[in-house]
Amino acid sequence: MHRESDDERPFDVPADRHYDGSRHLWAKREEGSHRVRVGIDSIGLESLGVLAYVTLRPGGSTVARGESLGTLEAAKMTSDIAAPVSGTIASRNDAVLRDPALVREDPYGAGWLVEIEPSDWEAEARELVSGAAIPAWAAAEIGRLRAETPAD
Amino acid sequence: MAWRLLTSDGAAAAGGLACDEALAQRAGAGLSPPTLRLYTYRAHVALVGRFQDVEHEVHLGSCKAAGVEVNRRPTGGGAILMGPGQLGVALALPGRGDLSALRARGLMQRFSTGLVAGLAELGVRASFRGKNDLEVGGRKIAGLGVCRVPSGGLLFHASLLVDLDTSLMARVLRTPFEKITARELGTLAGRTSTVRAVLGREVALEEVRAHVARGFARSLEVVLERGEPAGLSREESAQIAALERAKYRSADWVFQRTAVPDALGAARLRAGGGLVDVRVALAGRTIKAVHVRGDFIEDEGAVADLEARLRWHRAEEGAVARTIERWAERHAGTLDPAALTRAVLAAVRRAEPAPTAQREPARQPPRAPARQPHGCFVTPGGPRG
Repeated sequence: MHRESDDERPFDVPADRHYDGSRHLWAKREEGSHRVRVGIDSIGLESLGVLAYVTLRPGGSTVARGESLGTLEAAKMTSDIAAPVSGTIASRNDAVLRDPALVREDPYGAGWLVEIEPSDWEAEARELVSGAAIPAWAAAEIGRLRAETPAD
Repeated sequence: MAWRLLTSDGAAAAGGLACDEALAQRAGAGLSPPTLRLYTYRAHVALVGRFQDVEHEVHLGSCKAAGVEVNRRPTGGGAILMGPGQLGVALALPGRGDLSALRARGLMQRFSTGLVAGLAELGVRASFRGKNDLEVGGRKIAGLGVCRVPSGGLLFHASLLVDLDTSLMARVLRTPFEKITARELGTLAGRTSTVRAVLGREVALEEVRAHVARGFARSLEVVLERGEPAGLSREESAQIAALERAKYRSADWVFQRTAVPDALGAARLRAGGGLVDVRVALAGRTIKAVHVRGDFIEDEGAVADLEARLRWHRAEEGAVARTIERWAERHAGTLDPAALTRAVLAAVRRAEPAPTAQREPARQPPRAPARQPHGCFVTPGGPRG
């Protein structure tokens, strides 16, 4: 699958993590840790357009699933970033605050947003898209995105 | 489907913005109906985008001298000048149904159809351009923005230029130029259009407002019902007043700072009959704005289109080159795309931190300005909403 943006990279939706199906946040439990790392997936980034600004709540903040982890501005849309899982923010990626372009360049690596110490991972993970369900979900979302994106 | 229509004039900056956000919050929570608010400000106000640094966008001293209030929108984009001659459009919706969280581009275009339809009724043929503008003949006539508030509600913001005091805009918003001459004013005016300029008559703002309301009703297939006399319920008024006090009258909100550094750069390009001056304003690795000026450029509409395409654009070489190539396909013969690309990228490479000497003294001690020959600018294409 290929995106129709100006960089023409394929959509990358790795199978090794969970996805919030409508908000396009990914969540991945770190190996050897209870923490869950969170970021924006490639479909969400394409939908948002150029990401200009990101703010993130500081470490120690408690969030419930769906509550705000921070805010962003992209292509003149401002929005809260809704937590895919509940818990306490253990750390945030200060590098993306200074350079939001990192999120687009490496959404699943250097462009991560926060790490959460989850309070109910086992139950909430079941509400996220994962494993064998990923390809069909991603294909449907990419189709919706293409249908809604106006031609330049 | 029925939406509420609210109309008002004489808003102040903090109250006008608080009303828009509170209605979106309440719409998202199911406490208020979907509402279209069409309003004007009592006097001119300078409104920066959600994450911008005020002192990089606005001449605070000039604003104070001219009695122009400064505030911060919840929506993104650049600094704009609003006042009695600009129609503010705020559409507050629940944000459910098929409007999922991240579909910014589609949302922007969908909402813009109401304005386009209203302007068409008036005889103004506007079209959606790039990411967030409405243009007429290549010139911007409205700026658009969308905000999703924590309750899930959506706030669509637009500023429609019924008229525009370009001279005041150049005094209070930072421009590419250290000194504003008649030529620079002409360049700024050439990037924008107004309803009155297009129609060539003194159309009343009330007439524009009526057409815009009908345009939204028709294009989004809704019935607009006038709010009761005061327009707002007691609960809504109380929530607006509380938000105004806690947020939009707070210096912490208005003068908040971003971690993304602003920078400015310039380059010159020899083309055709002379030199082309290219200036860029960056937020980190994002191009906030590009300004292109050359005495011999005849098609100002083509240049305005170029500037719009490069606004809020990635500053990477390949992305800039592709955008300029696509622009050149539509405006063949205006400027050589390869040379223009080189000039924009040179300006990006040369960009230096935006001067900070004019920051608010109480919040940021003055520092020596960075070496930067062109002063700071953010909105060379004119106001954005």
